[in-house]
Amino acid sequence: MFEYFYHEIIRKTVIAFGTLFNKIQIRKTDDSGNVVSVIEVPLAYGPTQKFLARLEQSPDLNKPFQMNLPRMSFEISGINYDSRRKTTATQTFLSHSISDKSDIRKAYMPVPYDIDFELSIMTKQNDDMLQVIEQILPYFQPSYNLTVDLIESIGEKRDIPIILNSINMQDDYEGDFSTRRALIYTLRFTAKTYLFGPVSTDNATSDIIKKVSIGFVSGESNKSPTRELTYTVEPQATKNYTGTIVTNISNDVEVSDTTIEVNSASDISSKSYITINNETLYVKSKVSNKLTVERGQYNTPISLHVSGSEVKSITAQDNLLIEPGDDFGFSDSFV
Amino acid sequence: MLNPFFLQGSKGEQNLVQDLINEQIKMYGIDVHYIPRRFVTKKTVIEEVIQSKFDSAFPIEAYLISYDGYGGQGTLLSKFGIQDVDELILVVSKERFETYIAPLIKNLPNIELSTRPKEGDLIYFPLGDRIFEIKYVEHESPFYQLQKNYVYELKCELFRYEDEDFDTDIDQIDDNIVDQGYTKTFTMVGSGSTATAVTSVVNGAVSYISITNRGRGYTSTPTVAISSSPSPGGTAAGIATLITGIVDLCDPTGTGYRVQGVQLTNPGYGYTISPKVAFYGGGGEGAEAVSYISDGSIGIVTVTNGGSGYITAPQVSVVGSSATSAEVYSSITNGIVTSVTIVNSGAGYTESPTFIFSNPYMVGFGTYQYNETVIGSASSTTAKVNSWNANTNILELMNISGDFENDELVVGQESQAVYKIRIIEEFDITDPYSSNDEIEEESDAIIDFSEVNPFGMP
Repeated sequence: MFEYFYHEIIRKTVIAFGTLFNKIQIRKTDDSGNVVSVIEVPLAYGPTQKFLARLEQSPDLNKPFQMNLPRMSFEISGINYDSRRKTTATQTFLSHSISDKSDIRKAYMPVPYDIDFELSIMTKQNDDMLQVIEQILPYFQPSYNLTVDLIESIGEKRDIPIILNSINMQDDYEGDFSTRRALIYTLRFTAKTYLFGPVSTDNATSDIIKKVSIGFVSGESNKSPTRELTYTVEPQATKNYTGTIVTNISNDVEVSDTTIEVNSASDISSKSYITINNETLYVKSKVSNKLTVERGQYNTPISLHVSGSEVKSITAQDNLLIEPGDDFGFSDSFV
Repeated sequence: MLNPFFLQGSKGEQNLVQDLINEQIKMYGIDVHYIPRRFVTKKTVIEEVIQSKFDSAFPIEAYLISYDGYGGQGTLLSKFGIQDVDELILVVSKERFETYIAPLIKNLPNIELSTRPKEGDLIYFPLGDRIFEIKYVEHESPFYQLQKNYVYELKCELFRYEDEDFDTDIDQIDDNIVDQGYTKTFTMVGSGSTATAVTSVVNGAVSYISITNRGRGYTSTPTVAISSSPSPGGTAAGIATLITGIVDLCDPTGTGYRVQGVQLTNPGYGYTISPKVAFYGGGGEGAEAVSYISDGSIGIVTVTNGGSGYITAPQVSVVGSSATSAEVYSSITNGIVTSVTIVNSGAGYTESPTFIFSNPYMVGFGTYQYNETVIGSASSTTAKVNSWNANTNILELMNISGDFENDELVVGQESQAVYKIRIIEEFDITDPYSSNDEIEEESDAIIDFSEVNPFGMP
């Protein structure tokens, strides 16, 4: 019934949440106001394997101190469906990854979920706690937006508001002297994230339409119809995709020049397109190694080309490599 | 009615009991160190000592109430990591404290109350090599035998370390704070060496490139193209440099980049007329430049020895007889000169000129000692040495009071070691509980801080 998928969205939300509280510092001054100590507050996701914690934090068993303070810990405290952000369950959309625009995938609309977090802060002194709290609270009014790349394969970046719900202050300073003072603040947040279902593993549309033909058919009531004309349109690349260099220009080409000289024009045919640097040119004709060209094709900028610049031709092979999202032209024919 | 034949607490009886107790503690007890707390900073209103220093320790015999083991809850795993909630109850002689330790600490600066052992002071427990904090001092147990109390009972729990300064000069105590707190890593300049480079003399080379139009709208460095040379292999090459902050009608905010100049990586040779110069890519447009050629110019500059220990790219003097002097710049990676680019390749050289690089800082010396105080010569920032590796020139500092500056000297106050800072790393939290670095590293891949919500924060 179900196919396997795992986007690590909850884990990414945990990381994104933790990032908000990274790099918080505590600075201490002497009586003259000079800074005497700077501490960066350690932060960790609280739940962990017991044996791992023991191995990492007490490798030699004999800790000289009880623990180090200050410390901050955060953990998920709940996951709830958020019906207020509900969208049509059957709606799908197409998207591509950030790195590869041709890699288009189909995905269903995400399901809105609220992930509750608890951030606990433990400090040795109230002064430390107040410094930490004051560096956190101004950012939450009462929420702070994070843009998280939830699924890299479809480039799905979502704004996830992190909402500060409550602050619980615990300062157990009363009682007998056998119990230490415990100074722990607990901040409760809600991250309004989205959970995605399966994303198609196949490229949804890996190519552009390569050919469109329209036939014009005529006939009479007493005569079977015949196809009189077929009009065909095919995409034509406006730039070189293969990267194949056919030659180099042998002289500088000024902006106003319409004749260019190349080292060898044997691989360039007339009535074809070539690119030099970022400019696409149309070769009207060639005589020996001299090409008569029309500059600035397909709205490419007409610019100076110094001698030695690489010349690449646009061929039918490039037409096949046009990527979705690219600009391209058309060639048409009648049959 | 009390027995009239006994005095029930004469001075002599009390002294006898005290002596017997002292003897008992000395026979059956253990030696611990009493470490008084010095107040560095005390906050008023919210009454707290926010900064403390422990720089003296006094051995004293103490009787361990329970030889069965530590009291307390033992080792716990909490959301804040592993906590060793071990407790210890020690008994020390009242007389011994008052006649031995109290006189020694009463004149120490910033010591509050020296007449008795006090809460907040520390006990070094040598059997476990651990440091306990006194939570409570019980002075009435046993309760007024012969009308007097003879011992203090110290109820202790393992210390919670933050950033307190431990400098008791007793290695067994001071070495407990290695890698316990928050350190910063510095790469220091050791003994640097001077870079060297060579070149040749060429004719028909590009002597320099002059920008005639800076263009606009560049987001990255455009590629510089120079007309090919008539001599095979003699084509010049260069790298564009960008400038930002120019405000005009094309760029009212001055945030875009424009082409500032072209530095030659290869002046080429064999040109008979000045080659054309063009700029491609970089996201901008409009940049234009012209080149000038000359004979007797310097060719490609080859760095034969990158030297070491450079904090900033060294200046390079070109020494040789010429009509026009060449002008070059160096660039460094990790303190080593990696390349030399040419701003002007000069003219009229008949012999290859020599390059003289400015010297790096070469006089770092000494060996930093663990836990000694170091001071930055320019910033006056102070810190304590956590570790020093003379092979890698890596200095780890803790208890840092502010921000050290690149290029300043760090002077050890005891060792007199002096080295110059080359690279300052970010904070390195040595606490194994911390996941700060991992969280930051993972978040870099998934969080996009460049995204701006056009509707503002909800």
